[in-house]
Amino acid sequence: MDPQNQADRLGLLMRAAQDGDASAYLRLLNEIAPLLRRAVRQQRKFLQPCDVEDLVQDILLSLHSVRATYDPARPFLPWLLTIARNRMADGSRRQMRRAANEVSVAEYPETFSVAPTNTLDNRYGDPQALRQAIGRLPSGQRRAVEMLKLREMSLKEAASASGMSVTALKVAVHRGMNTLRKVLSVEA
Amino acid sequence: MDTDQLIHQLAANPAPVRRLPAPWRRAAVWFAISLPYVVAVILAHSMFSSMPIDLSHILHDRQFVIEQIATLLTAITAVMAAFCSVVPGYDRKLLLFPLLPLAIWLFSLGDGCVRDWIRLGAGGLEVHADWQCLPPASLIGIVPALAIVIMLRRGAPIYPRITLALAALAVAALGNFGLRLYHVGDASIMVLVWHFGSVIVLAFIAGWIGQFVLSWKTTGLAAGSRRR
Repeated sequence: MDPQNQADRLGLLMRAAQDGDASAYLRLLNEIAPLLRRAVRQQRKFLQPCDVEDLVQDILLSLHSVRATYDPARPFLPWLLTIARNRMADGSRRQMRRAANEVSVAEYPETFSVAPTNTLDNRYGDPQALRQAIGRLPSGQRRAVEMLKLREMSLKEAASASGMSVTALKVAVHRGMNTLRKVLSVEA
Repeated sequence: MDTDQLIHQLAANPAPVRRLPAPWRRAAVWFAISLPYVVAVILAHSMFSSMPIDLSHILHDRQFVIEQIATLLTAITAVMAAFCSVVPGYDRKLLLFPLLPLAIWLFSLGDGCVRDWIRLGAGGLEVHADWQCLPPASLIGIVPALAIVIMLRRGAPIYPRITLALAALAVAALGNFGLRLYHVGDASIMVLVWHFGSVIVLAFIAGWIGQFVLSWKTTGLAAGSRRR
């Protein structure tokens, strides 16, 4: 088709679309989409096909939002291509901003931001050996470890439950933990 | 969403749109709103203050007349260029058009400064603050600025910074056209610094915030409705 005729026809379709003619608008958009795709590919040769399609859609949406600015007395293609160039330039600026703020990393840390995945696994690996080691502790140390570490009682609660003083409990749990650490590290 | 789907969605129910009038028509509408307001502010201020407007020797002051014509032409060309800049497809060279009357205005003020210096010596180039002028200067741009921003937001934000700088130039130049009526006998250096200077500063500030005032989002473009 003669390019001049095509441009005139597109202008007429746009005019009808401005008046609310859905079929004219559909024809217009279907006809200009390949033109826009070609223009984007020509001017942004480095873009992937999906990015080209993104830009084409961006231009179509922009055209739709400012379709009231088209004056049927003026040529259609310069109007369309000005919008296209503007959106391509905006797209490039967006890409540059994104590239400037991105940090390239060789290896991604194997973690996620959600809390459950960030629980550190610092429990002892062999509960059976731990239970046996606690059982072998002297009775004072064993009771102190059971109350303060396993049952997570406070020093005050443990003191009133056991009849031991707070200081004695502190010493007993300290010694008990040291003994457990030694015993379990030897067994490991 | 792929492009074909988007096209069908856009074309499914295109509401009829009211075409934007030609830029010169919109400029005329803006002047019809702004000029009476500027005149009203000037008249109200001259009535309620001790700064009466003395127009008796205006026609004899050639430099004043040239300055006023250049100021008015700056406002006219700037508003025309601003309205052209929101319609895709106009030649970008049109945006430079206001520079011509602006240059005439600047040249006329420069010429006045030289004449004052020859006539009065260093005293002719003294700059001092004129606070009496501040209230009308603050008021005079409100309605023209609001009107032009509302009107420009109906267009396409192709060059948002330039568009808003041109709009500010038009508003400030029109405001200065009115304010200058108080300062018929002022030294050119005062007009150059306070009037011309404020016009340029306002245009730069407007250009700086242009992309926040005029953007594709303000046109109703749905963000995030694209393919991904």
